[in-house]
Amino acid sequence: MNMLVEQLINGLTIGSFYALVAIGYSMVYGVMKLINFAHGDLFTLGSYLGYTLLVIGSGWVTNTFGIWGGVIVATMGAMLGVGTAGLLLERAAYSPVYKAGRLPLVVSALGASIFISNGIMAVWGPRFQAYPLASIPTGSIVLFGDFRMTVLKLVTILVSLSLMAMVYFIIEKTLFGAAVRASALDRETATLMGIDFRKIILFVFFVGPALGGLAGVFAGLNYTRIIFTLGWTYGLKAFTAVILGGIGNIPGAMLGGILLGLMEALFEGFVSGAWKNVFVFLILIVILVVRPTGLIGEKVAEKV
Amino acid sequence: MSDITRNLLQRLSKSQIGKEIPLKSKKTLGILAILIVGMVVFPFLPSINNYWIDVGFYVGVYTLLGLSLNIILGEVGLFNLGQAGFYAIGAYTTAILYSQFQIPIILLLPISALVAGGFAYLVTSPIIHLRGDYLCIVTIGIGEIVRITALNNPFGLTNGANGITGIGNPDLGIFSITTPTQFYYYVWIIVGLVILALINLQKSRVGRAWNFIREDEIAAEASGIDVRHYKLIAFVIGTALAGVAGNVYGSKLMIISPGNFSFMESALIFVIVLLGGLGSIPGNLLGAAIIVVFPEIFRQFAAYRLLFFGLALIVMMVFRPGGILPRRREGAGLQGLGISNLPEDENKVLEESTNKFLSVSQSQEKAESPILEKGMVTKSTKNGIVLETQAVTMRFGGLVAVNEFDLKIREGQITSLIGPNGAGKTTLFNVITGIYHPVSGRVIFKGEDITKLKPHQIISRGLARTFQNIRLFPSLTCIENVMSGPHCHARSGPLSSTLHLPSQQKEERHMLDVASYRLHQVGLWEYRNELAKNLPYGKQKLLEAARALASGPQLLILDEPSSGLNDKETEELMEFLTKLIGEGFTLLLIEHDMNVVMGISDLVTVMDMGSKIAEDLPLEIYNNPQVIEAYLGKEEQD
Repeated sequence: MNMLVEQLINGLTIGSFYALVAIGYSMVYGVMKLINFAHGDLFTLGSYLGYTLLVIGSGWVTNTFGIWGGVIVATMGAMLGVGTAGLLLERAAYSPVYKAGRLPLVVSALGASIFISNGIMAVWGPRFQAYPLASIPTGSIVLFGDFRMTVLKLVTILVSLSLMAMVYFIIEKTLFGAAVRASALDRETATLMGIDFRKIILFVFFVGPALGGLAGVFAGLNYTRIIFTLGWTYGLKAFTAVILGGIGNIPGAMLGGILLGLMEALFEGFVSGAWKNVFVFLILIVILVVRPTGLIGEKVAEKV
Repeated sequence: MSDITRNLLQRLSKSQIGKEIPLKSKKTLGILAILIVGMVVFPFLPSINNYWIDVGFYVGVYTLLGLSLNIILGEVGLFNLGQAGFYAIGAYTTAILYSQFQIPIILLLPISALVAGGFAYLVTSPIIHLRGDYLCIVTIGIGEIVRITALNNPFGLTNGANGITGIGNPDLGIFSITTPTQFYYYVWIIVGLVILALINLQKSRVGRAWNFIREDEIAAEASGIDVRHYKLIAFVIGTALAGVAGNVYGSKLMIISPGNFSFMESALIFVIVLLGGLGSIPGNLLGAAIIVVFPEIFRQFAAYRLLFFGLALIVMMVFRPGGILPRRREGAGLQGLGISNLPEDENKVLEESTNKFLSVSQSQEKAESPILEKGMVTKSTKNGIVLETQAVTMRFGGLVAVNEFDLKIREGQITSLIGPNGAGKTTLFNVITGIYHPVSGRVIFKGEDITKLKPHQIISRGLARTFQNIRLFPSLTCIENVMSGPHCHARSGPLSSTLHLPSQQKEERHMLDVASYRLHQVGLWEYRNELAKNLPYGKQKLLEAARALASGPQLLILDEPSSGLNDKETEELMEFLTKLIGEGFTLLLIEHDMNVVMGISDLVTVMDMGSKIAEDLPLEIYNNPQVIEAYLGKEEQD
C-alpha cells in the first residue's frame, strides 16, 4: 500500500515536470507546427541557472533569503533567464527559417538543441553537478497513518498544478487565449482578423520555456544531480505526453504529462526500472494505433 | 493514330528534348569523372595516412546511412528520426550471429539487411499511416526501444553497455578485408552500387510514386498510388540499407555497443539528408563528408566542436534551407528513355508500344476494364449504366452531408450535379471515389460494388477525378504529374525498376507515351518540364484533367471544372468536354456555371441538403420551381 502511494506521488512529481515541459512543446507546435527539439535543452538550462543562483557566493542567496526564499529566487531567476533564451531562440533560429518550410525548421531546431546542450557543457562542464544540500528544503508531513511525504514534493506538485491551472485559464478562458488558439488553427486568418501574431509568438516563446525552466529547477531540487544531457529524456517524454493528450491541445498536454508520469512510476515500482522507457514508448505506439488523435483529440481537420 | 499524336511524335523525334534537357551535361560528367578518379587514388595520395583513409571509410558509411534515410525522408517525405535503431539492428544481427554461430561476415551482409528491413516492416506496418509529426516521435521511440533493449542485455545476447567485441572481418574467399585501404574500397564499392540502384529507382514508377506521396498524399492515392504499400516499400528498402551499413561498420570496428546508436546518431543521419538537399544523391555525399570531416578538422577544439556544429546547422538553414546541393528535377528522364533517338519509322514504333501498353492494362484488369485504345475508351457496359449509387448516406458527427442519394450515370453522357453551396456534392464525389466510406448505401461501378475500395483501387477500375481545390504534385514537372495517371495499369516493382529490366523499360515507355499524349491533348505539351506549381491557375486545372485522363478512365468526375476560368476559357472547356464525349468518355460534373450546365449536359441532377430534389433534362430543370426555391429561397406569400 505504502509502495503504491509512494509511486503515485513519485509519478505525480515527475508527471508534473513532463506536463510543464509539454505545455511549451504544445504551444510552440500550435503556432509554428514545429517540434521544438531545443525545448528539452531549455529545461536543462533552467536547471543549471537555478543551480548557479543557489551556489554563487557559496550559497549567498540561501543565506540571505532563507531556504524557501532561495528556492523562490532560483525559480524566478531561472524562469526569467530561460524565457529570455526562448525569445532569443525564436529570433535567431526559427523566425528566419519559418518561410522555408517545415523540414529546414526541424533541422534548425535540432541544431539549436545541439548548440544549447553543448553550450551548457562548455559553461558548466561535462560532469554531473549537484544542487547544494543546504539549499534544498527538508522536512516532511504526515499524509496518513505512518506515511510521510516530503514538503518539497508537495510544493512541487502544488506549484506545478496551480501554474497549469493558470495557463489553462489564460489559454481557454481569456480573449488573449482565444487569439493564441485561433493562431494555432489558422495563422493567416487569425492575422487577417487583426490578431498580432508577433505578440502571440512572444507569449508562446516566453511562457513555454519559462515553465520548462521552472520544471528544471524543481527537478534539480528533487533529484539533486544534473547533467548537460538531462533535457533530452525529459524533452522526449514530454513530447510523448503531448502526443498522448493530442497534439496542439494544451489541456491534453497537461493530462498527458501527468498520466505518463504515473504510468512510468507504477511500471518502475512494480515491474522493472530498466525497461520503463521501453514501456513508455510502447504505450505511445499503442495509443497512436488505437487512437491516432491522442486521448483528448487534436484540433485540426483537412478539407478534401 | 491521331494527327495530334503524329505531330507530337514528330516533334519529339526532332530531338528537341535532347537539346533542352541533356541527361548529363559534359560539365557534370567531367566533375563526376574527377570525383571518381579522386576517390580511387585517395588512399595513395601523399600525406594521406591510415587515419585519413579511415576518415574516408566513415564518410562512406555515413553516405550509406544518408542514402538509406534519403529514401524514406527525401523521396517519400516520411519523418524518420530513428534510423539509428535500424542501423543498430543490422550491426547487432551481424555481431550476434557471428559471435554465436561464426557465420561469415560477408554472408551476414544480406542477412543484416533482411533482418533490419523485416523488423522495420513489422514495427512500421501499424503506424505507417500516421501523419508527419506523429511518425517522427514514434520513430524516435522505436530507436530508443532498440537502444535500451541492447543496453538491457536480453537473454545475454547483447552484453549490455559494454557491447559485443571480436566481430570478424569480411572474408571474400580469395582474401579478407583487413587494412584501412581495403575497408575504404569495400565500403565505397557498396556505396557505388547502392547509388546506381537508387538512380534507377528514382527514374521509375516506384520512385515517382514515392515523390507523388511526398507532394500530396490524397492526390497520390486518388491518382492510383497505393500509398500504404509504397510507404512500406520505402521503409523496408531504406532500413535494409541501414542494416547493410550496420554490418559494414561492425566488421570494421570489430566492436559495437549501444552508445554507437543513440538519438544523436539518428539526428546526424537526418541532418546529412537535409544538409545536402532532400532527394539529392550528390548532396548526400557532401552532407556525409561534412558530418564526418568537420569534427575531425576541429579535433583540437574537441569540447566545442558540437557547439559549432549546432550553430552551423542553424546558420545553414537560415541562408540555404534547401540544402547545399538540392536535387534538380530533370525532364522526367525523357531522353533516358531514348524517345529522342527514335528510328526512322518512329510513328509505327510508338503506335505499337501504345497498343502493347493497352494489352498490359487489359490483361491485368478484369473483363470490364477500361481500354485505352489510341487514346479512346471504347468498351461498353451491359445496360448502359456506368455508375450507380444506391441510397448512399454520409454523416459527419450529427451532420448528414449526403442522405440516401441515388444516382445513375449513363454511358457516353454528360451528367451534371448541381446544388447550392454546402449541398453535399463534393462529399458525394468523395464517397464515390473512395476518399470517404459511406455510413450506408452502395456504390456500383460497372456492375461491381466499389463501396469499400480505396481510391487507388477505384481509379484502376476506370473511375478518375479532379479536385475542387486543385491538388497537383506542385514540385514535380507537368509530365511527371501526368505520368501518375497510367501508374495504376503498370506493375514493375522495385526489383525490376532497380535492374532496369527490359519489361520495365518497355512499360516506362508506354507510360510516357500515354502521358505525353494527354499532356498534348490539353495543350500543355510545351510546359512538360515546368514545375506544376509555376503554372497559372487555369493551366493547373487542365493539368489535373490531363492527369485524370491519363489513367484511361471510363468515367471522369470533374469537380467544378469551370470555376476560376474566364468566359473564353469556359468556352474552350465546354468544347474540350464535348470532344471527350466524342472520344467515348462518360462525364460527371459538379458545376455552378449555368451556361456550362445547360449547354452541354445530357442530364442534370439537383442536390440540396444532402438529398436529391430533382433529376431531369437541362431545360426542365431550368424551369423547375423546386430547384429555383433551393437556389433562391421561397417566394414570400403576401
